[in-house]
Amino acid sequence: MENKAILIVDDEKNIRLTLYQALESLNLPIQTAVNGEEALQKLAGNKYSLMLLDLKMPGMSGMQLLRKVREKWPKIRVIIITAHGTIESAVEALKLGAVDFIQKPFTPVEIRELATKVLEREKLDGENVADYRSLIELAKRNITDGWYDDAAKMTQKAISADSGQPEAYNLLGALLEIKGDIPNALKYYRTAINIDATYKPAWANLDRATSSRKFGKINLGIETPEKADVEKTGHGDKDGEK
Amino acid sequence: MKILIIGSGKTLYFLCRNFTSAGYDVVIINRNRRECQNLAKELKAKVVYGDGSDVKVLMEAGAMGADVVLAITPHDQDNLIICQLAAIQFSVPRTVALANDPDNVEIFEQLGVRTFSTTLIIGSLIEQRASLEQIINLLPIGGGRVNVTEILLDDESPVVGKHLKNIALPENVLIAVLIRNGQPIIPGGATQLRAGDRIVLVTLPANHGPALKAITGKKG
Amino acid sequence: MAKNSLYIVIVGCGRLGSYLANHLSGVGHSVVVIEKDEANFDNLSPDFSGFRLGADATHLEVLKQAKLDKADVFVATTREDNVNLMVAQVARKVFFVSIVLARVFDPKREQIYTQLGIRTICPTSVAAELFLQAIKDADNTHKAGKK
Repeated sequence: MENKAILIVDDEKNIRLTLYQALESLNLPIQTAVNGEEALQKLAGNKYSLMLLDLKMPGMSGMQLLRKVREKWPKIRVIIITAHGTIESAVEALKLGAVDFIQKPFTPVEIRELATKVLEREKLDGENVADYRSLIELAKRNITDGWYDDAAKMTQKAISADSGQPEAYNLLGALLEIKGDIPNALKYYRTAINIDATYKPAWANLDRATSSRKFGKINLGIETPEKADVEKTGHGDKDGEK
Repeated sequence: MKILIIGSGKTLYFLCRNFTSAGYDVVIINRNRRECQNLAKELKAKVVYGDGSDVKVLMEAGAMGADVVLAITPHDQDNLIICQLAAIQFSVPRTVALANDPDNVEIFEQLGVRTFSTTLIIGSLIEQRASLEQIINLLPIGGGRVNVTEILLDDESPVVGKHLKNIALPENVLIAVLIRNGQPIIPGGATQLRAGDRIVLVTLPANHGPALKAITGKKG
Repeated sequence: MAKNSLYIVIVGCGRLGSYLANHLSGVGHSVVVIEKDEANFDNLSPDFSGFRLGADATHLEVLKQAKLDKADVFVATTREDNVNLMVAQVARKVFFVSIVLARVFDPKREQIYTQLGIRTICPTSVAAELFLQAIKDADNTHKAGKK
């Protein structure tokens, strides 16, 4: 995974430029694609460790590309770039291994930190990890790899390490929702809210899961609660992983 | 009392009419010539044509001597600036702004301007279960963080006949006042509630539903 | 991107807003432009590498979406003084942005808001000063020429 390249897929030139400039300092090769077709071409010819993908693109949509990438290159980590109020299929994105999202606009620092976090996550060793934060990261990696049971185990461990954080309960709720166990998923979202009534990702998930239209992303939370700046009810929830 | 109102439409018209019948001295600032002419014809108020957020216009409207400035235009930013100018430049003792966007209520208050939002008021009326006939809703206070509700007790209310100290109410619920035969009574523990009493309840939104249930015996 | 690049939020993409956005993004800052009328984004240069938010900045949700809490600089350049003054105050007092500037056309309003601690730039006053200075200089030159 070291020194493999980053692929930026976005139809908007200014976003590609912003991302490129922000990620330059990571000292990894960076390539760009203006749409899904070009992305596929590049993916076929090069090895990438990370792909930044804008869901809203003309032609092949981000979701379609994500599906193809999952089939052929399951090891690539993906950060999804969303616009405000976008409606995406929640559980679907998660099942396709997308656990990291960032909403436009974002600062260069934000995207750099998120990319770093995602890349660092690969180095985590399941045996030697005991602190809350790393356990959560490991859980997310497991979700990306499709190992939901392991993800749940890691999350449970994280709760044992620190039972006062809403993020872990929210994550468990999301895992239950993927399995289709909605009533228990809701319980966990509510637990997260009881711990911290201001923890917006859980509110977003609760609203989305209890509305009759199952739109919106499952929100996996933001690391630093004081920077949370998210969305409301109904459609298109986002989250900004930092 | 001299009131300076900046705005337009029906709200402006009826507010002015109410104020003038109450004997207040009303001055209107409005940006539409035709509307100004109509207002001047129909109301006993001085009407000034112009932009209420323009210092010159405020001066012409006599903001210097106003006791109250009320800004109820459809544009929150105008209402904010009008009130700030009135307070700072003209030392008007009371200024009130309408925030069409309820999010702006808290913001404007933080910027030092007394603000209300019709959206919040009406929304709160609906949320406080105004469908139950016995319940009449009052203003939400503190930006919607506290509910004040008036409830008419009927024979079926589980609390009728009980003394206040024996009534099990949820936490953060207060029976602030009761009105019996038109007389307000501040109740004590020994006060016994009767059918026909109107009680004024203060609750936090989280306990509002349970409080209503405890008092009326009905689910909202 | 330079390590000292700033996160700058500009409200209004008219002539002034777009000029600032193009220039600031060109020298490497991270710029977000908020503009109600998306047609005005055409004023941005093709090399503009920042974000566009087609929304009304007088809505708190929009300022949150623009991540104002992370902004280093906030500039209000709409054509309406009141909008500029309102969003500037919100940026300062609610989001604690350290550098806040508002364009205010009416010199009378400018005086009052300077008192409230909002830095304003009044094109009317600035232009007036420059014109007066130019007239003085031209007059002096003229007089010197006559001697």
